[in-house]
Amino acid sequence: MYSEPYIDPASAHAAAAPIEHRFNPYSDNGGTILAIAGSDFAVLAGDTRHTTGYSINSRFQPKVHTLPCDPPILVSANGYSADGDTLVRRLGQRVQWYSYNHNKAISVAACARLIQTMLYGKRFFPYYVHTIVAGLDEEGRGAVYSFDPVGSYEREQCRAGGAAASLIMPFLDNQVNLKNQYDVQTGEPKTAVYLSLDDTIKLVKDAFSSATERHIHVGDHLEIKIITKEGVKVEYFPLKRD
Amino acid sequence: MFLTRSEYDRGVSTFSPEGRLFQVEYAIEAIKLGSTAIGIATSEGVILGVEKRATSVLLESSSIEKIVEIDRHLGAAMSGLTADARTMIDHARVETQNHALHFNEPIKVESVTQAVCDLALRFGEGADGEERVMSRPFGVALLIAGIDENGPQLYHADPSGTFYRYDAKAIGSGSEGAQAELQNEYHSSLTLAEAEQLVLKTLKQVMEEKLDAKNVQLASVTKEQKFRIYTDDEMKVVVERLEGSEVQTAMS
Amino acid sequence: MSDPSSINGGSVVAMVGKDCVAIGCDMRLGMQALTVSNDFPKIFQFNNAFLGLTGLATDVITLSEVFRYKVNLYNLREERKIEPETFANLVSSSLYEKRFGPYFVGPVVAGINSKSGHPYICGFDLIGCINFAKDFVVGGTSSEQLFGMCESLWEPDLEPDDLFETISQALLNAQDRDAMSGWGAIVYIITKDKVVKRLLKTRQD
Repeated sequence: MYSEPYIDPASAHAAAAPIEHRFNPYSDNGGTILAIAGSDFAVLAGDTRHTTGYSINSRFQPKVHTLPCDPPILVSANGYSADGDTLVRRLGQRVQWYSYNHNKAISVAACARLIQTMLYGKRFFPYYVHTIVAGLDEEGRGAVYSFDPVGSYEREQCRAGGAAASLIMPFLDNQVNLKNQYDVQTGEPKTAVYLSLDDTIKLVKDAFSSATERHIHVGDHLEIKIITKEGVKVEYFPLKRD
Repeated sequence: MFLTRSEYDRGVSTFSPEGRLFQVEYAIEAIKLGSTAIGIATSEGVILGVEKRATSVLLESSSIEKIVEIDRHLGAAMSGLTADARTMIDHARVETQNHALHFNEPIKVESVTQAVCDLALRFGEGADGEERVMSRPFGVALLIAGIDENGPQLYHADPSGTFYRYDAKAIGSGSEGAQAELQNEYHSSLTLAEAEQLVLKTLKQVMEEKLDAKNVQLASVTKEQKFRIYTDDEMKVVVERLEGSEVQTAMS
Repeated sequence: MSDPSSINGGSVVAMVGKDCVAIGCDMRLGMQALTVSNDFPKIFQFNNAFLGLTGLATDVITLSEVFRYKVNLYNLREERKIEPETFANLVSSSLYEKRFGPYFVGPVVAGINSKSGHPYICGFDLIGCINFAKDFVVGGTSSEQLFGMCESLWEPDLEPDDLFETISQALLNAQDRDAMSGWGAIVYIITKDKVVKRLLKTRQD
């Protein structure tokens, strides 16, 4: 957490030279998250490895949270876990306040906008996280929203975030949105259709197994939270521990 | 009531031994001096209507503004010390815009009413040391009409900061008579056009002047058109329709 | 972005199939964010070996010329074609020669040994350390994306047609998520007695 004391080379020979200590408020705790929206469900998955540098702090530190509202909303803030945990905790509180003030459960769209204002509120000392929320929209369809650290956001069909986002994202483009795939008969680009829940979970597991293989900050366990109109289900899946 | 007057009606936030806040009660009285305002909620939408009492023949009646927009889906009619309504409406407008900014959705009618009523008791220091922002209670009541996921709704907010939802409500000088009329005529299957006519008919009964297209103002909140103040041409049409129907009832 | 290996952009990937190998690259040449050319192939053939070169474009051109020179000399001296394994070691030793002033490249070698018929691929770092991979190797600015794609799409013993589809999807979807790569693609499918070169139609952004 504390970096090496910085010694100015020009004054290093002077015995009484002042030593500057610097506190770095951020670190990176690795991990990866992934969300996919279906026709009547959404999944938000994340690995449970928690790291700093080359050290593994925990093999089981879940980071996909269920907000205290009904219908529930899934949220995960990946990156610097202290910031992520704080954001999610404060978000839970705001969501609770919303239900008290307006006598209804918050929608995913409203929750997404709320997260934007919370993230942008710390524009000059940001939460060091890539945030993804998943839930069901007002029509009951799966909804995924993703955010950058300062609140820029977008609704999408799928999104990977965190350490291995760059490994997983092109795979999702190809397998969920069928990018670069063409119909054999017509030669026209294929258009994306909703995946079934089973296929979605298979895809998530494949994505994480692949990311685990090539990224040292990803591994140990995979936690998949599935949201349907019946509620939230959780599945665990072992990942390589090396 | 005036018999019990004592030193307890001086401090705005001092209870009398009987447990009353005189200044707040007087504020409610002040509304009864205002021009009549009526609201009716139907399943198709809400109609607001006000009497525009001109104090001089030289007064430009179009400058009397007693129905205002709060947001696209919200409007309010006022009665009483209408200058006080500016503070409340401004607050309501800020609150609706803030809600849209923070939550990307239109605020509920009940929530905006609550927000306005939160202001009503700011003439004393708050329990958490909130700043005292006013020297006295508001002297105005609002009829807040709007539409949200719970359908068309009408709320009444008074200077005590309490609010209730109504199917139909009248405030102002003619409120007693008007409320009685509404109670007789209201039914849950009223159409918007019928509510329009009922508002005009009721206003006509309680107004001192003869009702015409210039001295009343209507507004509606519907799912399709949201909040809308009737134009002069539309006012002419509805007033003519009222007169037409009266002739019909008189003949039959 | 003053990192020499990511000024010009570009990526390569190579894969092993059943009695076949494939190697592919993008076509972009840029100067930081500015695209200068969409006709800059990064794969070069040296007898039985195919070399993919990513990194600093000047080094890509220089090295391709150096290897042409060296392979020509090899042909004259040995009076035979160079095999992929031999060429890989030539690449490695040539790069290590410049251990303290390296070429800023990420080379990939692919080919089929004309004697044994064994498919061969390998990758290198900029000073010549060889990565003897049995499945696939990647290089260039979209190497992370390529790792993710290859790791999830690749499977053992793919026939040439399936290998072509796999490497193309890996390359295309990876370069679409990298602003420094793209603007066209070339894929070579190499079997013992045939080399098929295909130009892929890609999005031009």
